[in-house]
Amino acid sequence: MNIDVHVHPDFYERICGDAELVALRRHSLHILQSAVKPIETVFLQMRNAEIDKSCLLARDYSASDGRPAVSNEEVAAIRDMYPDRFFAFASIDPSDPNHLASLEYAYAELRLSGLKLHPGRQRFYPADRRMDKIYEMCVAYDKPILFHSGLSFEPDCLSEYARPPHFEETASRFPKLRFCLAHFGWPWLRETAMLMLKYPNVYADTAMLYFDSAREFLETSLTKDIPRTWIDRSLRRQVLFGSDYPRFEQMRMSAAIAQLGFRDSTVELIRGGNAAEFLAE
Amino acid sequence: MIFHVFKTIQTERYNQSIRVTECAREALLGANVQNGVIYVITNHTTTGIAVNEHLECIESDIQNMLARLVPENDPYLHARMLPTYGQTAGNPTGHLKSHLTGNHCVFPIVDGEVRLGAAQEIFLMEFDGPARRTIHFTIIGE
Repeated sequence: MNIDVHVHPDFYERICGDAELVALRRHSLHILQSAVKPIETVFLQMRNAEIDKSCLLARDYSASDGRPAVSNEEVAAIRDMYPDRFFAFASIDPSDPNHLASLEYAYAELRLSGLKLHPGRQRFYPADRRMDKIYEMCVAYDKPILFHSGLSFEPDCLSEYARPPHFEETASRFPKLRFCLAHFGWPWLRETAMLMLKYPNVYADTAMLYFDSAREFLETSLTKDIPRTWIDRSLRRQVLFGSDYPRFEQMRMSAAIAQLGFRDSTVELIRGGNAAEFLAE
Repeated sequence: MIFHVFKTIQTERYNQSIRVTECAREALLGANVQNGVIYVITNHTTTGIAVNEHLECIESDIQNMLARLVPENDPYLHARMLPTYGQTAGNPTGHLKSHLTGNHCVFPIVDGEVRLGAAQEIFLMEFDGPARRTIHFTIIGE
């Protein structure tokens, strides 16, 4: 099964009935012109990208936005309508005094598959001790975390919070916590590789396309900035396919992964096998 | 008199040829025009409107010709982050194929019918699908 672990459903028609909320999402995600898409289009896009299931990410920056841009209930509702096509990830704002109760509800009641956190946008360092209870709850529920890492195009983000070495203490102190550095920590790819090499609970996704075409950029990033052999020999079980849809197109990202010169078995792991281990469902 | 009708079409593949001849006829029915012209116009920059014969071989030859002229992996400049979109451009081939194909066609309306040649069909040409597309039918006549 091929899985895209990094999909933003912000412009799925199913949750776009409120024009004011759609405008908030456009600003919050800084995706300004993407069309609202009916679910039929979404499924066709997934089919053309050879994606069987997508992880839909909620987005809660309540401290700055005043409300979640995409709520846990919304991603749960889409998942419930199409359980064969979607996983759903929770979002909480660590600045919200009720964030632990929200996470408990997301796992216990909404049965969400993991948690998305954004250190740069939510302004926390991953090793901050106030994050410990969140990590402990994820371990208790055996749920992974997808951390934004590296550059973010969203407004009011500082990349420094999401620099890969800031995640090492979490990897070390919570060895049972599976977490993924989204965007491979770009541009700090070698720092991400360093963490992955040492900590088997650290994964990285491929959701990066900041210059050039998908094929060109992923070739530069995953076969030159870090040599192809690093992934194909050593990190092949910790790389997850992620597209960051709709900022980047699933179809082109998915096709590019198969063109990088990895072993077929490595491509299969990246496209889905590793995500199944990561999600553990 | 001028009439405008639009139709939304869900395309299913990255590159696809979709017959829309019947859509043009249906648009004319609603306009009640006996003599004039009908324009078929796409609303997008990565689709085209084409006129040709409805044969699987011809449709494949046309798509293959466009793929040869506009290969997927050339070093196009339209492959970069677009700050005003917040997205990375990835569809240069769609734009270029659209440019080659053109955005519209026009046919005479005679005695209340779209006057097509015996082998002519109108196609919406998708070059960046799947997507929800809109085409316009503009009917001018009396």
